[in-house]
Amino acid sequence: MELARRVFFLGLDSMPPKVLYEGMGEGFDYLRGIVEESQRFLMRTCHPPITVPAWMVMFTGKTPGELGIYGFRHRRPGEFGYYIVNSRFIRAETLWDKAGRDGLRVGVYGVPPTYPPKPVHGFMVTDFTTPGPEKPYTFPPWLRRELEQATEPTIFDILYRSSDKDKVARELFRMLSNHQRQVEYLATRKQWDLFLYVEIAVDRAHHAFWKYFDHGHPRYEQHPRYSSVIPELYRRIDEWFEKLHRRLPRDTVIVIASDHGIKPMKGAFVMNQWLAEQGYLKLKPGVEAKPGTDLREDMIDWDSTVAWAWGGYYSRVFINLKGREKRGIVEPKYYEETVNQLRRDIERIRGPSGEGWVNKAYRPQELYPEVKGDPPDLMVYLDDLNWRPAGTIGWPTLYLSENDRGPDDAVHDWIGVYAVYDPEGTLSKSDVGVMDIHRIRRHLEEIIFSRR
Amino acid sequence: MAEKVCVEISKELYEKAKKFVEEQGGFGSVEELVEFLLEEALAAEGGEEHSMSKEDEEKVKERLRALGYI
Repeated sequence: MELARRVFFLGLDSMPPKVLYEGMGEGFDYLRGIVEESQRFLMRTCHPPITVPAWMVMFTGKTPGELGIYGFRHRRPGEFGYYIVNSRFIRAETLWDKAGRDGLRVGVYGVPPTYPPKPVHGFMVTDFTTPGPEKPYTFPPWLRRELEQATEPTIFDILYRSSDKDKVARELFRMLSNHQRQVEYLATRKQWDLFLYVEIAVDRAHHAFWKYFDHGHPRYEQHPRYSSVIPELYRRIDEWFEKLHRRLPRDTVIVIASDHGIKPMKGAFVMNQWLAEQGYLKLKPGVEAKPGTDLREDMIDWDSTVAWAWGGYYSRVFINLKGREKRGIVEPKYYEETVNQLRRDIERIRGPSGEGWVNKAYRPQELYPEVKGDPPDLMVYLDDLNWRPAGTIGWPTLYLSENDRGPDDAVHDWIGVYAVYDPEGTLSKSDVGVMDIHRIRRHLEEIIFSRR
Repeated sequence: MAEKVCVEISKELYEKAKKFVEEQGGFGSVEELVEFLLEEALAAEGGEEHSMSKEDEEKVKERLRALGYI
């Protein structure tokens, strides 16, 4: 079966509609032109609004509950520690699996989480979850050597939570350039019908430099160098894409999408200390912690603890359930009541000056048609994501103006982008409305498989 | 040495594979290529048992912590 036209998917991690559709910031001249001619959707991301599992929700068409993936890490019942997911935890068919089976050649670059690489009908280069370039990170396995010789060893990620912002900017651009050279090589030298490329540099730039870019940021700062990093990143992506686009067949369908949006982080809220104040969590006497200490199993007085939490881009709360946990004290018959009380208390959390917050605490079964894997008891968002939950302890206050894990001034947002440009004009060039992330796969397949 | 079983594949496919092995290097024989690919493909079905080494997992955990996902 032959596809008459090819589809190139440009994934810009964390790209919000404010930037791509509404013109916030400079740099995207060419891409905005494409977007003008596209069918545009506001992409509503999943619960939780994080890179993992969002991209895979998009490419499998399954909700996080059906995938059994609620973030990067998960906790097995009865354990305090966590495991990290990788590609082997994705057991659902992806868009590229189906396309490959139908005879289309696929190129998959940087989609999280695709390490370790699985066989595809085409080629694959894994993403930032890859431990390092010494690992087998391509399919076919020999592509790795070819790619590195033609371009350079792959740079999978940067550490952006550093106060040396000049270094962060340099590494960001180095990584972007590395990916662009590789994608250009693959897109122009290899045969493909469907090319999926996710660029993580956008997310890293947003997290590291958003407060220098967004005038609406509560800690906005105009800086001679840092304020131009994000626009410069946009410009480099734009320029690179325009060059590549001119080398692709003119009837290639272009898709531009993100996995979630981005917005200013107002602050971080210390969840476990709040739980302790509320009487849900009890620390052993004499536990002294420096600010930013991770909560450890041996710090907790389990016989007096009802719940504890994880921080990150959202909070997961776990109930110390008897029969499930090692030293559980909450009787199963009181589980529902406990969860509901905790929810009510979480929803009542207010801001540092007593301002009202829109807090949400969900049971996984309220969010998904199926709940597989190791979900938390509650999934918590503080002030509609504006406040990041900190899992660490040892802080003098519950409200932190800085991120507890290092410099980062942005949080994720619910709405990202999904725009489809069909040069043959078969798609309406307009703002169509909202598309849920798990419905994108079906929409893309209709385009890929029905056009001949 | 592991016990071996005979498997038949189409001559056409065999010739392609032979040409590939000769041109590409990296594999000493068609047999080696076939075993490698089959191993890789099946490992993908294996689930958690075939996931990363402890060392790699720790490396990734550390990075995810530094990235603020944890």
